[in-house]
Amino acid sequence: MIEVNGVSKSFAALQALHDVSLSVQKGSIYGLVGSNGAGKTTLLKILAGIYKPDAGEVMIDSRPVYENNSIKMRSVFIPDYLYCFPNHNVNDLAQFHARIYPQWSQERYEKLQPVFAIDGKRRIRTLSKGMQRQLAFWMGLSVQPEVMILDEPLDGLDPVMRQKVKSLVIHDVAEKDMSVIISSHNLRELEDICDHIGILHQGKILVQQDMDDLKADIHKIQLAFSGDIPPTLLTEIPVLHQERRGSVLILIVRGAYEEITRRLQAFQPAVMDILPLTLEEIFIYEMGDNGYEIKNLIS
Amino acid sequence: MFELDLRSRAPIYEQLVEKIKELIVNNVLKADEQLPAVRVLASELTVNPNTVQKAYRELEYRGYIYSLPGKGSFVKAVVPENNSARLQSLENDLGRIISEMIFLGRSAQQIDNLVQSCLAKSKGGTAND
Repeated sequence: MIEVNGVSKSFAALQALHDVSLSVQKGSIYGLVGSNGAGKTTLLKILAGIYKPDAGEVMIDSRPVYENNSIKMRSVFIPDYLYCFPNHNVNDLAQFHARIYPQWSQERYEKLQPVFAIDGKRRIRTLSKGMQRQLAFWMGLSVQPEVMILDEPLDGLDPVMRQKVKSLVIHDVAEKDMSVIISSHNLRELEDICDHIGILHQGKILVQQDMDDLKADIHKIQLAFSGDIPPTLLTEIPVLHQERRGSVLILIVRGAYEEITRRLQAFQPAVMDILPLTLEEIFIYEMGDNGYEIKNLIS
Repeated sequence: MFELDLRSRAPIYEQLVEKIKELIVNNVLKADEQLPAVRVLASELTVNPNTVQKAYRELEYRGYIYSLPGKGSFVKAVVPENNSARLQSLENDLGRIISEMIFLGRSAQQIDNLVQSCLAKSKGGTAND
């Protein structure tokens, strides 16, 4: 289990993280999303024990991470920019991992070879970006970690490989109760595999919730009236966001589905559609609330 | 076993509940048949295992399946009873469909015939079991 309590981190004058707290349960997949420069990578590097937080604590299994070999032995970090030793080939890299990680499984490594189908004698430098990323997963999964920290992990992988890698990670989460924290801008993809979501903006966590609760709690409603829009409608229903497209009114409303339906029915709309929001829409509206909006760019 | 519509707006766990329910209602999954293990289904569909777990719990709560500790989840034979909310939403859907059909020019008689033939089909299905 991963716990982050009140973590702050500055680089010179730049405050990258401000009082961030979160927790990831065992056997859970936590999705970290946020605007560019929000501090996602900084947070993940602190979790991996690369940076030392200025304040607060980061614990894995109730023990601090920083300079803690027994924790690092059991966790794997796949960064957004991979580094490899010049002149190393794939087998050399495997040996290197085997020396560092006591839990390395040669058997797993060999078993995964046909999945990734990369020749062991190939020099890593000659591999493409996507193949290097595959290699990182291959190594990471062979270490049999209890914690996986993934920074934009699926970037550069083709659709088939994305599916394979996700399936392998999910397998380990289900079988071995591995905990995963994953940052990505591909919200569509996070939606399928994460059970918790945290939205980071300017170094602070804005929202942090169970994925299904997050989605169950907020709705997109399309309304049309045969006459005029009742003037009391917008005052009676707490609206996060509204938009008028011709005679159709689009509302974003927070609350329970039944409650909203009941209250809107009272206005007798000619058309009423209630749709769940996608994670991408939730992200956009939450950000909009915090002054990070999609403004009309061409005006 | 089935595919999820990853483009759909509906939450994954809701989709799972609906799909499995559909398979049970249409008798594709028979009474006392075992459902795939959570981890197997999760890997297969590449969705979060906790989401699958949640869907199974929901199905159990609604009375479609039962679980035996250490063995897995199985299809329940009896039709669940506590469905008033779902029935209400189905009735609303039906109302909407009927008014659209009328708008598009179907007569009340034609709709009635259609309903009768659907009813006959559903009955036929259960009588053969």
